[in-house]
Order: sequence, then C-alpha cells, then structure tokens
Amino acid sequence: MNKELEHKFISEFQKNQNIVHKVCRIYTSNQDAHNDLFQEITIQLWKAYPKFRGDSKLSTWMYRIGLNTAITLYRKSKRTIKTQDFDAVLYRIESKEYDDTEEEQLKLMYSAIHQLSDIDKALIFLYLEDKNYKEISTTLGISEVNARVKMNRVKTRLKKILNP
Amino acid sequence: MKDELDLLKKDWKSQEGSLPKMSYDDIYAMIHKKSSSIVKWILIICIAELIFWSFLNLLVPESALKIYEEFNIKTFLNITQYLHYGVVLFFIYLFYKNYKSISVVENTNMLMRKIIKTRKTVNYYVYYNILLYIILTVVVNIIMFSDTETLLKVMSPANLDIKNVTFINVLLIVQTISVLVVIGLLWLYYKLIYGILLKRLNKNYEELETLNI
Repeated sequence: MNKELEHKFISEFQKNQNIVHKVCRIYTSNQDAHNDLFQEITIQLWKAYPKFRGDSKLSTWMYRIGLNTAITLYRKSKRTIKTQDFDAVLYRIESKEYDDTEEEQLKLMYSAIHQLSDIDKALIFLYLEDKNYKEISTTLGISEVNARVKMNRVKTRLKKILNP
Repeated sequence: MKDELDLLKKDWKSQEGSLPKMSYDDIYAMIHKKSSSIVKWILIICIAELIFWSFLNLLVPESALKIYEEFNIKTFLNITQYLHYGVVLFFIYLFYKNYKSISVVENTNMLMRKIIKTRKTVNYYVYYNILLYIILTVVVNIIMFSDTETLLKVMSPANLDIKNVTFINVLLIVQTISVLVVIGLLWLYYKLIYGILLKRLNKNYEELETLNI
C-alpha cells in the first residue's frame, strides 16, 4: 500500500480518534470489547480511505463508517457478550464536579443506554453529539420525520428504564 | 426527563479529555491487522457454497453414467448439465455484482439492505440447486421405474434372493428416504449459518424498515 497515503491517514485519524472512541463507548461495555470494536472501525476506515474524496467532512465520514461498523459489520466476540461492567462514570470519578446523586443518575443512564437496541443507541449517540435531524436521517437512511419519531421513542424508552 | 438528558449530555461532552489516546504506532499496527467483519465472513461462506455445489455435480460416478445410458437419458442429462453451468455463471455474476456494491460509506439502511441482498443471491443459488436435485431425482426415477425390466437388468439383484417387486419397493423407499435426509440436513445447515451470521443484522434492518413503513 501507498506509504504516503498511509501516513496521511494515520495522522488525520489520530487527530479525530475521539469520534471512534465515543462510538465504542456507546456500543461496548468493557475495555476489551472497546479495543476490539475500535480496531475493526479503524480497519474499515483505512479500507475506505482511498475512496474518501473530501466532499464531505472527514468527521462526518468517520461518524458514518464508525456507526455502520458497530451496527452492521462488527461481529461481537464471545468473551465480550453480556458483561455489565460498564464504568463510564468511573473514568472521571476523581473530578469533583459531580455530587453523589448526579453520579448515581449518570451511572443509571449509561447502563440504560446499554440496554437499548443497536439502532436506538445510534440515535442517542447522534443526539449526544449534537447532530441535527437532517444529519441523523442521512446517516441512518431514514426520513427526517421518522428520525424525529424514533428519537422521541428512544427518549421515552430511556425514561421507562430509568423510572420503572 | 429533560434534566436527566441534559445531565447526560453535559457529562458526555466532558469526557473528551478522558478518552483513550492511540499513538501513531498503535494505529499503524491496527491497520495492518485483518478485518473480521461480517461482510468478510459472508464472502468466505458464499464462495465455499458456490464451490461446494459446483463440485457436487462432478462427483457422479462413471458407473452411474452407464446406467443412464441404458435408459437413454444421457442426452437429457447432458443438456441439463450445460444449462446448469449457464445458471451457475449467472449466479456468480450476480453475487459478484451485489458484493461489489456493498460500501461501508453508505447510510446504515442501504448498507444492511445490500448485505442482505448479496446473501440472498447465494441463498437463491442453494434453493436452485436443491430444486434441481429434487426435480432430476424425480424425473430420473420416474423414467427408471417405468421401465422395470431395464431397471432390474442394470441393478442386477440376481445374486440376491428377493422378489422383483420387493426389490423395487425397497429401492423406491431408499431413494425417498435419502432425498428427505439430504433436504433435512441442508435445511438445518442453512438455518444455522444464516441464523448465527445474520441474526443481529436482520433484527437491526427490520427495526429500521418498520420505521419506514
């Protein structure tokens, strides 16, 4: 493979890698699974990179491939299925911004998100990333109206999980 | 609820600094590893299926051909064979075309639709083979059993001490059972392959599709 292209890809990818980490955070619940998915997304991005023309933003392109890989292409390895040790909140437990109740609430929210379906996770993820409905609809391939309807349903479902 | 989601969003945004950082070398190592994506698995399995069914055809023993000659159905079988090769080529072309159209950059809905379409091409190929197998078995058996004289001659059960009628009945039952067993095994195999590989994909696709109704 072209060394120059490889170097360009790695440099650009490195700067934008947060997008991929965040996709992994939504779709996986432990470090092993996170790394596994991260690797698969990276490979898919690299394979698609020669065809990336730059007519969309690199970040948009990465969101799309990241989500597609997580939802469609990725085959969960056995060891990562059904582990409940999601520790998103623990990552910044040291920061004293959060009081205990907030922390508890967040913990609940993250574990509620992990109970959602793959598609619902994508919607919540795009919502958290401040994507508008137009972008959500073109990423997932549904109409804007349906994206809205679905988003409201996901929020209701989250609410149900949080307040049974 | 609004408050809870706001809290979540605030927390989500504050995580940027705490996300892992992969180094240049980490990423370099990653892009030189092999993908284990579902599309790759589908490709491997589909090619295996294409090869399996093509080779199955070549496994007909010479002795069987001699029997067919006795019944004057060799030409019929030869023509079927050529037609069959044409169909196989057509399927390979369709599969290749569908496979090539799969692009990870497409929207999620379209990507899933194309993967399912590619997989379906191969499923149709398998159905076609099973159907061909059943039709040929039935046709050849009808021809053979309607000419019991030749049948008894070529199968030569002379050394066996059984009545001709019994022999033909046994032959018929054995044929029927073997056809059923083959179909049963195939059904089980495809349920397993299809189930394991595409269960999640089908579920996600349905979820998006029910939205679009």
